[in-house]
Amino acid sequence: MPSRDMIGRLLSTGTATVAAEHIGAFARALGDLNPRYLDPREAGGSGPCGGIVAPPTYPIAFMTQAMAGGMDTFLELGLNFMTLVHGEQEFEYLRPVRAGETLALTGRVADIYEKSGSSGTLDFVVLETEARDTEGELVFFSRNTLISRRT
Amino acid sequence: MTALDARTVTIGTELLPLVKGPITREDLKRYAAASGDPNPMHTDEEFARNAGYPGVFAHGMLSMGYLGEFLVQAGGVGSIRRFRARFAKLTWPGDVVTCRGRVTAVRDEGAARLVDCDIWTENQEGERKLVGAALLALTRPEA
Repeated sequence: MPSRDMIGRLLSTGTATVAAEHIGAFARALGDLNPRYLDPREAGGSGPCGGIVAPPTYPIAFMTQAMAGGMDTFLELGLNFMTLVHGEQEFEYLRPVRAGETLALTGRVADIYEKSGSSGTLDFVVLETEARDTEGELVFFSRNTLISRRT
Repeated sequence: MTALDARTVTIGTELLPLVKGPITREDLKRYAAASGDPNPMHTDEEFARNAGYPGVFAHGMLSMGYLGEFLVQAGGVGSIRRFRARFAKLTWPGDVVTCRGRVTAVRDEGAARLVDCDIWTENQEGERKLVGAALLALTRPEA
């Protein structure tokens, strides 16, 4: 079971450049053909929402791509992988993610707690990831709650 | 063009629904590849059955992606400030996913009209699957 001593631990870091092709594939997989995700001719100038931008849940795919490391700490959490589910997801956005920009990600173990119910004891692990651009400005924040049932 | 009108939005306003699906197994494979999610629970029938499920089920994040499209439809690109969802029930191949939402609070902050919404997905039987909330920033209309 996850130890509360892990709270605050760095899980993973990573830096990657957002590829327009990756955004396009992600948007198409959602069946979301908004031209702002797909067509550079629809680019809305150079403002904070200009150029090809990513759909709201794209950070989940970008985090997977950019933070391939961190597996050791993740295994150290001691979650039961056979019963592991994604319980909740939360995003905060300062602006949309833009194609071509480079983002630095930092992921941490934010909280660990347990709840007991009719199906046994559930372990909750909350992972928080922040993304900053090359100016050091926050672009998005993700909070991911994983749940596993003890067997 | 956005579906929510900053001039008339008020507590209780319903967001324009968005209907997606019915979800196919092909949709799940495409989402798995594009999102980098390697969990075979969504793509391998035998694996899912061995884990005690009747078969593969949809990624929670696929439905949350539909809610993202629904929120952009309501407020426009760049309007979402906060967006959360709890994956309350599983969504299955064959499910038609309808995204719905209702405004719970409206306030002004600088040039923005901030709109809080309860949001959810439901299937063809009206069963709620994802349940969450969002904060949208609309451009404040001229006084």
